[in-house]
Amino acid sequence: MGTSGRGFERVSRGSVTSTVVRKAPDEPEPPLPEDTRPHLSPLQISLRYLWHDRRALICGGILLFLVALALIGPPIYQHIGGISPSDLSGSIGPGLYHQYYHEELSRQDELPSAQYWLGTDSVGRDILARLMQGLLISLTVAVVVEIVDVGLGLLVGILAGYYGGWIDQLLARFTDLMFAFPSLLFVMLLVGVFGSSAATFFNKVPLFGDPGNARLLVVSVALAFTSWPMMARYVRGQTLQIKEQQFIEAAHACGTGDLGMIVRHVIPHLLSILLVAAALDISGTIIGEAGISLLGFGVTDPGSSLGLMIADALDLTATHPWEVLVPTVVLAAIVLSFSFLGDSLRDALDPKRNNC
Amino acid sequence: MLQFLVKRLAGGVFVLLGVSFITFIIGYFTPVDPIRQLMGQHYTYVGWLQLRHAYGLDLPWYQQYYNFLFHCVKLDFGTSIHYQNRSVGDILKDGVPISTELTSWGLLLTLLLGIPAGILSAVKANTWIDTTNMTVALLLYALPGFIIAVFAQVMIVWCNVQFGLNWPVANWGTPWHYALSDIQAKLVPVLIYGAAGYAYFARLARTSMLEVLDQDYVRSARAKGLSERAVIYKHALRNALVPLITSIGLSVGLLIVGALFIERMFNIQGIAHIAIDAVSQGDFPVIQATALSPRLA
Repeated sequence: MGTSGRGFERVSRGSVTSTVVRKAPDEPEPPLPEDTRPHLSPLQISLRYLWHDRRALICGGILLFLVALALIGPPIYQHIGGISPSDLSGSIGPGLYHQYYHEELSRQDELPSAQYWLGTDSVGRDILARLMQGLLISLTVAVVVEIVDVGLGLLVGILAGYYGGWIDQLLARFTDLMFAFPSLLFVMLLVGVFGSSAATFFNKVPLFGDPGNARLLVVSVALAFTSWPMMARYVRGQTLQIKEQQFIEAAHACGTGDLGMIVRHVIPHLLSILLVAAALDISGTIIGEAGISLLGFGVTDPGSSLGLMIADALDLTATHPWEVLVPTVVLAAIVLSFSFLGDSLRDALDPKRNNC
Repeated sequence: MLQFLVKRLAGGVFVLLGVSFITFIIGYFTPVDPIRQLMGQHYTYVGWLQLRHAYGLDLPWYQQYYNFLFHCVKLDFGTSIHYQNRSVGDILKDGVPISTELTSWGLLLTLLLGIPAGILSAVKANTWIDTTNMTVALLLYALPGFIIAVFAQVMIVWCNVQFGLNWPVANWGTPWHYALSDIQAKLVPVLIYGAAGYAYFARLARTSMLEVLDQDYVRSARAKGLSERAVIYKHALRNALVPLITSIGLSVGLLIVGALFIERMFNIQGIAHIAIDAVSQGDFPVIQATALSPRLA
């Protein structure tokens, strides 16, 4: 998604930045900006830039809202609502009918109401509750995969870029291989082969087991495995660039060792780049998890995931389009927010941008 | 040049070997015993040993891999485990024409619409044409195919209800036939299938063209009085196409992953659909064949 997107950003924002720059000389007091500017660290400048970027703010707001929804939504939602008659269990409270796995067979395919805020799906489960659980799954997988991805990518990328040699060769061959293998196909292969045994193996573990998302672990591992070589290659390229710069030469002259060089001089320069790459990567990971669940290899049915919700509602598109629209819109919102936020972050953290 | 070709070719062989080895080794280390699955209730130890020998699964792994490679070269992927008497080739045979049709239309759409759209955007940079085009491309690129597919299907349903149409929501007509009903069924999947590639190439073509238009020789061409048309289509376009051609190879991966979702969403019985079924049935020979077949092509 890299360079082409950036060209677009640059051109579309050019007019705004140029007006800002042009205004500056019109200000009548020359000494004041001289005094205020040095107090801003580069990070503060970047944050200020981000704060004035309306698209980044909106995307960040949406993401914060969705994270909050996933984390604190369910406990709140399970305390809202009155007692309601149930098919099998007499009258039940919101603690049960706002549970993502609770089925109420006499109330299938309902539109939003006071009791079910986003309606019910084809077996009478609350769509909002399933949505919140699905968001939680998506975000968890994204975070886990990103940690592995960034960690491994940083380690191997720096080793390959800094030392070169056989690590570099190995990395190059390995990334070639992963390029040749469509990553989703690879994930499918892994999940298809190891998924069923993972389900039996992890069923005892409370976090994975009972709601049918035991396969998530395999999915996460597979997604991380396919995504880290790209990250490593990217880090390697950036490390090569940094290695050639003068401050590295200066540090060498001061007698800094390899480890000190990497930890104190290379990694700090990589951090902002890594942050952007991770933000852009997260949307890919979320798409991957949703896609795998959509194809039927991720979370299985008592559990919930955005992709699984789409898959469940897919047969009903003609009769109940609402059910398929809800998870799709939310998924689209997350994915777009992450990619736009990544783009904005890249602009904000770019030291060569021309204002501030 | 020859050295370069040999190097690239060796790299290609290496990648093919690597991919086949990964597919093989994952199947080899599977915790599910295919023979036991095959025998089901009729399990006896002697029978298990016999079948294991018949399938060649008692050999050491390097011999198995050698056999696997050797059969793959002859396009013989073995026998399906789930459908006991059908060879893998026979199962794939049904899906091949459908998938090739989908892929070739998708690729055609990608190249024939995406590149011109990008060029147009670059030539009309910063006008409303450029902005709309690039916004659409950005959205299509950022969103995965299945999300767009859901929106398209809901749109179709809405139009059907609103205007009393009878447009099919999910189907695929006869492969390589183009009666009205076939076109109706194929139009939307192909459009969505091409959308991701369209966005990718439009954005790439725009960047590449903008870069070329900035070069000195384009200015010289303008300065010597060539018409704008000649400058753009004769001088700039040819050089702008170079980076695009190299990335066509990369877009194949995009197409394969796209096919998985399009075939699932629109219920098209192509290779990707067979792969999905095979994974859920644990049918390893079929999985391996479907993972390898796009690389062999």
